[in-house]
Amino acid sequence: MYLILLPIFFPILAGFCLLVCPKKPDRKLLIITTGICLVVTAMLILCTLLSGKQELTLFYLTRTLPIYFKIDEVGILFCLLTVVVFVGAGFFSFVYMTHEQKEKRYYGFYLMVFGVLNALCFAGNLITFYLFFELLTLSSMPLVLHTGSREAIMAGLKYLFYSLCGAYAGLFGIYFLYHNCDTLTFTAGGVLRTTAIAAQGEFLLLTAFVMILGFGVKAGMFPMHAWLPTAHPVAPAPASAVLSAVIVKAGVLALIRVIYYIFGVSFLRGSWVQTAWLILALVTVFMGSMLAYREPVLKKRLAYSTVSQISYILFGLAAMNEEAFTGGLLHVLAHGLIKCTLFLAAGAIIYTTGKTRVDELRGIGKEMPLTIWCYTIVSLGLIGIPPTGGFISKWYLALGSLSGNIGVFGYIGPVVLLLSALLTAGYLLPLTIQGFFPGADYDYASLQKREPHKCMTIPILIMTILSVLIGLFPNILVDYLADFVGTLF
Amino acid sequence: MIICIILLPIIVGILVPLLPFRQRSHKEIFLEGAVVLNSILVWYLLLHHSDSTFLLAHFTGDLNISFRVDGMSMVFAGLVSGLWPFATLYAFEYMTKEEHENTFFLFYTMTYGVTLGIAFASNLLTMYFFYELLTLVTVPLVMHTLTREAVLASRKYLYYSLGGAAFAFIGLIMVIVYGNTTDFILGGVLDLAKIGDKTNILLLIYVMAFMGFGVKAAVCPFNSWLPQAGVAPTPVTALLHAVAVVKSGAFAIIRLTYFSFGTAFLRGTWAQTAVMVVVMFTIVYGCSRAVKETHLKRRLAYSTISNLSYILFGSVIMTPLGLTGALTHLVFHAVMKISSFFCAGAVMHQTDKHYVHELDGLGYKMPCVFGIFTVSALALMGVPGLAGFISKWNLAGAAVDSQNPLAYAGIACLLVSALLTAIYMLSIVVRAFFPGRDFDNSWIQTAHDPNWKMLLPLFVFTVFIILFGVHSQPIVNFFYEVANGVY
Repeated sequence: MYLILLPIFFPILAGFCLLVCPKKPDRKLLIITTGICLVVTAMLILCTLLSGKQELTLFYLTRTLPIYFKIDEVGILFCLLTVVVFVGAGFFSFVYMTHEQKEKRYYGFYLMVFGVLNALCFAGNLITFYLFFELLTLSSMPLVLHTGSREAIMAGLKYLFYSLCGAYAGLFGIYFLYHNCDTLTFTAGGVLRTTAIAAQGEFLLLTAFVMILGFGVKAGMFPMHAWLPTAHPVAPAPASAVLSAVIVKAGVLALIRVIYYIFGVSFLRGSWVQTAWLILALVTVFMGSMLAYREPVLKKRLAYSTVSQISYILFGLAAMNEEAFTGGLLHVLAHGLIKCTLFLAAGAIIYTTGKTRVDELRGIGKEMPLTIWCYTIVSLGLIGIPPTGGFISKWYLALGSLSGNIGVFGYIGPVVLLLSALLTAGYLLPLTIQGFFPGADYDYASLQKREPHKCMTIPILIMTILSVLIGLFPNILVDYLADFVGTLF
Repeated sequence: MIICIILLPIIVGILVPLLPFRQRSHKEIFLEGAVVLNSILVWYLLLHHSDSTFLLAHFTGDLNISFRVDGMSMVFAGLVSGLWPFATLYAFEYMTKEEHENTFFLFYTMTYGVTLGIAFASNLLTMYFFYELLTLVTVPLVMHTLTREAVLASRKYLYYSLGGAAFAFIGLIMVIVYGNTTDFILGGVLDLAKIGDKTNILLLIYVMAFMGFGVKAAVCPFNSWLPQAGVAPTPVTALLHAVAVVKSGAFAIIRLTYFSFGTAFLRGTWAQTAVMVVVMFTIVYGCSRAVKETHLKRRLAYSTISNLSYILFGSVIMTPLGLTGALTHLVFHAVMKISSFFCAGAVMHQTDKHYVHELDGLGYKMPCVFGIFTVSALALMGVPGLAGFISKWNLAGAAVDSQNPLAYAGIACLLVSALLTAIYMLSIVVRAFFPGRDFDNSWIQTAHDPNWKMLLPLFVFTVFIILFGVHSQPIVNFFYEVANGVY
């Protein structure tokens, strides 16, 4: 029963111990310790997930506010993504972080973020979720400002204040929900009192909109997306990978929990809130792609791409039907793996060549073929070319939006998604093209093979393979999702 | 018994400069012993209180000086007596660097007795008497350093407080004229038959009296004395200007609203709207000024202004739940703010740094102090699991429950203020712990954590911040009973 606490508190405590340990440890020892902690946490998570559905009320904040953990299907999905990304990026950083300082601090906060994310996946009610949502912001901020340049510190603060602003908007909603729900435990189909809907329906819609905007900050939704392209690129590459692949997903998870498990779809479907949300999501999709297309710095370009891609997921959630929701969840996995790979590849490039702009990277494919191949394969996935993961998720998204319950957006949606896919190709593939076909004037004589260390290439490779596997065998996932998605509608 | 515990600190304070202590440590033991003894007596009294009123002096009619222990006084006296011994311990260490120690401890200890007088006053006149007395005994503390700045600040403090008390006095007169008694009775003492058609005048008087007492609670626009009074030594700023004095203002307003005018008379009137707007404005105003301020103690003082208005916001909701929220924040904020002030004081004591931008990298040299400061910052922001979340939860819950649209807007103010709190507190934490790459740490090599006299109070407060955060049920239940007049 208490097993569920281990994958949450073990990494948090381990990270905390690393942080407060006053002695500067030997680098090798530090890496071994962190590696062991990561692997042990992964094991603990697997044990927890395999031991079946668990729930645990830890203690009560006040008489009616329990800290409560529960494992459910959505949680498992997010948790698996978190594990893969964290272990992969963790091993990547063992080499990458040699050219940064203060590694102990980095690994300490890295482990803490890992534990906090697990807690978010397992949180069983809104208060528990909110608690760890705040902790996530606080513990991931040091990863953003890690490099310690003035730019990084300002970006860290920007991230912090945007996120807190969003969290407080969420809290505003929680205050009102608490008085209009019998419980804040996540329940498929929502927990709003019918009497409350009758009495204060309009106000509750406003509350829902404020919460969408608030939690949407973390998911980089327009109009509060500006922190994301500032904060993600300044972090060390493995940290950017984690930030872009899973931490922004915390915002997505929050929206799933609030809309599908607290408000209930039936309350919001067809309301102005849904319309507004759809518009915001589509605006973000297009705007993100557009900005990425114009951006010359690779990591910034990837960050804008995250802005756009997360809103694919949000569009799926906002459409509020089964297919679109399935598509959204599939895109959570697909985008998580793909974006992690892209950022790690970018990190590998920076680590080996020190170059950050795309136009400096001519011939890079000749120098680091494996990395750039992986980059290319996942790029195709993100564009949505079959048989990679991105295709399946976009297929379901389009299917859902065309199924006809969202009016005119049913047609606008797929068009925007396709336009954005075109732009995605436009901003991701130039690196591949220049990398493999540097042109006639390229100096082949100075070319040297410099594939990065194995610790860097293997995580990239594994995640590329996983993202392809999702596309090749989507049925396992789709069947798994189909089992519970029906209960939400 | 009551009169005994009010007089003991006053007498002890007067004895400090008179007794010939051979060593400093003797004086410390004498003072600390007296303060602890008094706190024990207070707690004994609170736990074994009877409902009787102790009459000290009788003037005329039903005007008298008398004391009684009720729920509200239990909360306030319990809070003050819990904090005073720790603050005194801290002051011993802090004052080693200041002059005129005897004068300082004379007035510092006297203030304890006077504050208890406010807590235990059983009628408006008694409270008013001790309220004025509180102003007089704390002026020398503000003036302590005798710099030009300090003298100006204390003059301002004196004028503001006396002026405010004058307005409050009008309220007192009106309660005497239109009420049945001046005693504090939950639900109010106004006699509707006597009021007749003068409701609006009485409401106006209420607003004036609210603003009058509000001067001590630093309600906008009467708040500028508080940041200026930050020139006083830190134990004064921390204990008096974050707890005892300013919370006397909030306490007096609660007495006035709930126990003299009565919420039934005020709820839903324009007077409630007026004071609520003022309070909401102060919440946001205080925080915004805190963000702009770069002097560490003044920044915390502005934060106090904002947080005091949280308490007032709870009390002007004018429901039992609102009062519960107000009392929760009254106690929890006291612990959080005294903790952060003591951290600021420790930094100033150890390094002589007064401005936020001078704190770069200090977190590594003074890990305990800045660790504790971080906890109090997170608590003030309202991170769940720490005290601040519970009090904000109660305040917002009361606001939602009141069904008052203005109170809904108040919740938005609370959250805006929470965000601003995050900005002004966490920017300090980030500076201290993440100074940046090109940071030159040569000048802070000698800085280190202070000794146990300063750290012990900080640790105790931190324990309480966490304890209130994770296990608030008993104490919040107690506040709820107080707000419903069980005691």
